[in-house]
Amino acid sequence: MFSPKVKLDRALYETAKKYSEIAGYSSVEEFVQHVLEKELMQIEGAESEEEIRKRLKGLGYIS
Amino acid sequence: MKRVASQLPTIVALMLSPLAVGGGDAFAAPAKKVLVLGVDGLDPVMLQAYVNAGLMPNFKRLMDEGDFKPLGTSMPPQSPVAWSNFITGMDPGGHGIFDFVHRDPKTDSPSPYLSIAKTHSAERTLKFGKWVVPIGSGKVELQRKGKAFWQLLDEAGIPTTIFRMPANFPPVGFKGKSLSGMGTPDLLGTPGSFSYYTQNPEEVEEDVGGGEVYKVSVRNNRVKAKLVGPKNSFKQSPKKKSRKSRKGKPTEYENPETKIAFDVYLDPEEAAAKFEVQDHEFILKEGEWSNWVRIDFEAVPWLVSFSGTVKFYLQQVRPSFKLYVTPIQINPEEPVMPISTPADWCACLCEKLGYFYTQEMPEDTKALTHGIFSGREFHRQASMVFEERRRAFEYLMDEFEEGLLFIYFSSVDQQSHMLWRYSDENHPGYDPTEGLAGGIASIYQEMDAVLGRTLEAIDDGTTLIVMSDHGFAPFYWGVNLNTWLLENGYIKLKKPAQQGQHKFYGNVDWRKSRAYALGLNGLYINLKGREKAGIVRPGQEYEDLVSEIEDGLRSMRDTRNTRNGQEVISLVTRPSRDFHGPLKDSGPDLLIGYARGYRSSWESPLGEFPKQILVDNDRAWSADHCIDYRLVPGVLLTNQEITDVSPSLIDLTVAILDEYGIKPLPEMIGKDCLHSPAKRQVSAGRKR
Repeated sequence: MFSPKVKLDRALYETAKKYSEIAGYSSVEEFVQHVLEKELMQIEGAESEEEIRKRLKGLGYIS
Repeated sequence: MKRVASQLPTIVALMLSPLAVGGGDAFAAPAKKVLVLGVDGLDPVMLQAYVNAGLMPNFKRLMDEGDFKPLGTSMPPQSPVAWSNFITGMDPGGHGIFDFVHRDPKTDSPSPYLSIAKTHSAERTLKFGKWVVPIGSGKVELQRKGKAFWQLLDEAGIPTTIFRMPANFPPVGFKGKSLSGMGTPDLLGTPGSFSYYTQNPEEVEEDVGGGEVYKVSVRNNRVKAKLVGPKNSFKQSPKKKSRKSRKGKPTEYENPETKIAFDVYLDPEEAAAKFEVQDHEFILKEGEWSNWVRIDFEAVPWLVSFSGTVKFYLQQVRPSFKLYVTPIQINPEEPVMPISTPADWCACLCEKLGYFYTQEMPEDTKALTHGIFSGREFHRQASMVFEERRRAFEYLMDEFEEGLLFIYFSSVDQQSHMLWRYSDENHPGYDPTEGLAGGIASIYQEMDAVLGRTLEAIDDGTTLIVMSDHGFAPFYWGVNLNTWLLENGYIKLKKPAQQGQHKFYGNVDWRKSRAYALGLNGLYINLKGREKAGIVRPGQEYEDLVSEIEDGLRSMRDTRNTRNGQEVISLVTRPSRDFHGPLKDSGPDLLIGYARGYRSSWESPLGEFPKQILVDNDRAWSADHCIDYRLVPGVLLTNQEITDVSPSLIDLTVAILDEYGIKPLPEMIGKDCLHSPAKRQVSAGRKR
């Protein structure tokens, strides 16, 4: 199955590799994927969407 | 025959008749007086019970001498929808308000937004360094369609005053007086966002919707804090999180928040403090509220400022400092948004009444929900709101000489939502400890006193209508409708293992999802050509899917514990089939009517997917009405005869127009439901 590739600069790759080993990830790919997922989850609920959510949550009816 | 008003001599009746009221002629007789008290959430069953218990003598008198019936509400029975039905005499197919929350289907994932009003920024701006000057002003636009009944009265020359009608922000233009109500934001543009300053923010929930929590320190008995105001649309500064991209992407800018610094000096011995806020100085004891304080946020030095008002509540001085500040109200003296017609009427009211809450529903239900307020503190704040409304009522009654006067009260609704669990032993959140078991009865009694004052003040020729938009039911159990859709295969998640971790449909795979729930009662099909990533084809595929989901929802049962087999959803309606008017296809594809005791969960309306479909509701918000509309009718109580066996909100619109001999518009779908003595006299006169 086609899997898109992302280029990292060498220094960043080496740092990611170092920390993926320390943290016990099976590969750099797994580590990078996990970090990106965490970051994206933050972004999904952030900024303008978060502001909209805040506005909506001001309604007593919605948590 | 039941009547409060005596039979009037024919000559007087003719003076009050539709023939005598039109036109604005300087020599015309005064227009007939119609007084409408709109009591949000007044429930007919509870009302009857309190009357039977002898708690409401004035309501009993009006019931005995006038007429009383449950008043059919809207589907869904949400206040913006119900009041829009009353305002326009149409259902959501005509006025276009289907829920508190609507969605934009053209975004990657459906984007929810508040349904009543939409804000548009100024389209063009000029930039001078960090300053941005809008060319032309932005605007706020009421989303409700259709003519308001008072616009028709206005055209017929009937003097009209509309005080805090919901779903009327910004208020529609007409020559009478009006002040906007539900839908009116605070100065930050939210339904109401309080500020809470504490030395121990960890004691408060992390995600406090409806407010902001700020950590403060006490140094040398002094607290320095800031009140955060609206974003400054005249200024731009680099976004805090923005970093210049390596490929030279320009820095992103945002409008910075305006802020006002204030100081609190704690008395070293007593539980009291002195406040210094801009030019104001005042002292509060622990547990005491300030009066309204005017504050001005400077947008452009010396040129532009945003004016607001707040109240401070010194909750605790020691051992931990705790201060609550109300949402920042639009200052009625200098409103930054249109909240009245004529535009300066809010300033006139302010001159007569002093500052007042201008935000939509000022009772701070969120502060109680998130543990900032205790039940008793909420009750006290809600009582202050009622006291403001009662003062306004007295003033408006004194001014009322002719035409129609509508006065809205939010207190029964808001206190019923929040105080239910203090008296209901069956409620999952039952709490007998705060001594508020009689809280709801007490606000009903306050309304009885208002009615007593009304009955004293009106003359025999005045038509009096006491009405509500819906009734109430306990909210015991929440229904995660999106989770039901997921478990039944109508929604697919991109990462099933992350169910419950995302907000705003963030984990939904729209290429494989066929339906979604949004808002308190709405369910939408992911329709091709309408939703951006729609996959369900219009026509037979759509029809089959809607029928299948409808059947599935109707057969949903609560199999937990002792509620074996209990019905969860007692009604499912289809707006495109059941509503009237050109907008009937613009709302949800299905509207869900929950059975008594159930309601949409807290998480589902904005696209979250908790693990369980049915959950107990142990929150302070313990009663609701966003259910099957047949279970929560409102109240119609009048000194006239109610001629319809089952009147509804849309009928009342027509009846009010008919009081002045005004024909309903063709798009109005109700029918006259009142018969007044004056009308009978007039028709008898014509025969002669």
